[in-house]
Amino acid sequence: MSATPSPLSVHWRKFLFAGLAALAVVWFFAAQSAGHDDHRGPLALVVGALFWVSTLIGLLMLTMITRVFDAGWAPVIRRTWELVLPALPIVLLLSIVPMALIPKFRHLLWEWTNADHILPSGHTVAADPILTAKSWFLNETFFLARIAYYVVFFSALIWALRRPSFAQDTDRTASHTHRLHAISAAGIPVAAVSLTMLAFDCLMALSYHWFSTMYGVWFFALSIRLALAFTVIATYRLSQGGWLDGILNQAHRHVLGCLMLAFTVFWAYISFSQYFLIYTANIPEETYWYNIREFDPLTGSKNQWWGVSMYLVFGFFLLPFLTLLFYRTKIVAGRLLAVASLIFVGGLVDLWFNTVPRQITAAGTPEGFVVSPFLTPYLAVDVLAVLGFGAIVVALLLRASGRHETIPVHDPRILESINYHE
Amino acid sequence: MNERNERIHGVACTFRQPADVFRAAEQVRDAGWTKWDVHTPFPIHGMDQAMGLPRSPVPRLTLLGGVTGFVTGCLLTWYTNAFDYPLVVGGKPFWSVIFPFPVLYECTILFAAFGTFFGQFIFNRLPRHHHPLFDLPQFARVSDDTFMIVLEASDPRFHVDESRNFLQSLGGSEITIVRD
Repeated sequence: MSATPSPLSVHWRKFLFAGLAALAVVWFFAAQSAGHDDHRGPLALVVGALFWVSTLIGLLMLTMITRVFDAGWAPVIRRTWELVLPALPIVLLLSIVPMALIPKFRHLLWEWTNADHILPSGHTVAADPILTAKSWFLNETFFLARIAYYVVFFSALIWALRRPSFAQDTDRTASHTHRLHAISAAGIPVAAVSLTMLAFDCLMALSYHWFSTMYGVWFFALSIRLALAFTVIATYRLSQGGWLDGILNQAHRHVLGCLMLAFTVFWAYISFSQYFLIYTANIPEETYWYNIREFDPLTGSKNQWWGVSMYLVFGFFLLPFLTLLFYRTKIVAGRLLAVASLIFVGGLVDLWFNTVPRQITAAGTPEGFVVSPFLTPYLAVDVLAVLGFGAIVVALLLRASGRHETIPVHDPRILESINYHE
Repeated sequence: MNERNERIHGVACTFRQPADVFRAAEQVRDAGWTKWDVHTPFPIHGMDQAMGLPRSPVPRLTLLGGVTGFVTGCLLTWYTNAFDYPLVVGGKPFWSVIFPFPVLYECTILFAAFGTFFGQFIFNRLPRHHHPLFDLPQFARVSDDTFMIVLEASDPRFHVDESRNFLQSLGGSEITIVRD
């Protein structure tokens, strides 16, 4: 129990109730939509959940990376990450797990689990040679086992990273730091494979004909960007009357700003490379994924998704990239906060771009399908899902902040971290 | 600048403690000096602010190099693929921003690196094979256990006797005139 609980900690119940209420509404719309055999309602839960799963996986990776590299700036900020991490399995349990278990939702979202589903070609999923070739991986038993594995693995890893760190607060032993160094070194490659599989199962498998071997790297890049944006926003709020008041300094903002710039470039590099390789190779099994995100199959003209992709190029890459080049953007709290907010919004747009467009079989149309549009009332449900899961994540962070030290008071690098200098 | 100063590089003094040189640097900064320097065996956190140094101008040359590289890459790929010898490759357009992007990107990186590398040479006034301070016997100790402040003759505030007295008032020892 922390000696002086933060005044913010007492608000956790409000956030929890607000989050649960929002999720109840989202689940209601999802069930309504599923009742009409429409996948778009359940998809709102995928978008909202994956936004936070991505953010939290990014925080998990940052926690381990800063441990492995003995980052001197990290300890005061890393404790906030450690406090919020247990939200990861909980978000999965409130979204992906029940949707994978309930056959109606599973069949609507992951079409390959529904053998009777009619494809644009006129065949059923059961008669689809592409699925047959992939069925060693894409079968329901293995799929459900993998979903269970994500919950168990990430819970265990988070537990293993938190326990020695909190134990250090009371027994003041430096050996915990060495142990966490080893756990992180072993955890990074296993977590990297797990997050890749999670991205395959929760996002790429929504259009199961398509494949990209670098999809996991894209998801990692997005995760770190969201995690850094979350960190900038959270630490800013916590430095205004929270547990980082008087602790967070200009150099901490500078290092977070530099990482945000680096991962903005990395995200663009990975996203563009994926597009570029598929564009150059020009194989129909791959290009259709980008084609439905640019062209209307009925008219051949640009559809709404083209505008979304242009937003990703200019709003999610170019604008954050150009603004973060400037030193003052990285140290002036208000400017860094603005860029972090831009990245937060862009992350949601990127998830929309990756999850929502799909070929809806429509017999009698020239290509046999239409593309789900971008602008639908369900965008509001998506946003509500993001806010709902976000409120639960914040509630769990605040609840944990009242039960543990909010900075790692006996970390061997705590003074270096507090006095961190550019 | 009087005639005597023409052969003088500046006045140097040494300190034994980082805290002493740090405080002295703040006083030199507050006295309005612009042409002067501090030499230390290791980086001292906050010395930039104590000396009143502005941010390095090198990043501007990096940006300039990057933009130049991007434009050069565009011109190179456009001239070769779309203008001088138009060639259809894989049914792609003669020139778009997509297919030559690796070239544009690499040119951006290369020229930005040139801007950075030569930028720091320019602003550090390199290459330079000799410096008047190398003649000082105590300068070798600056890479070991001694800290040094040098007031340079090119500063408008410089006057040999006044500068020596100023350094003395700051607590510097081994006050020496450095000749060019």
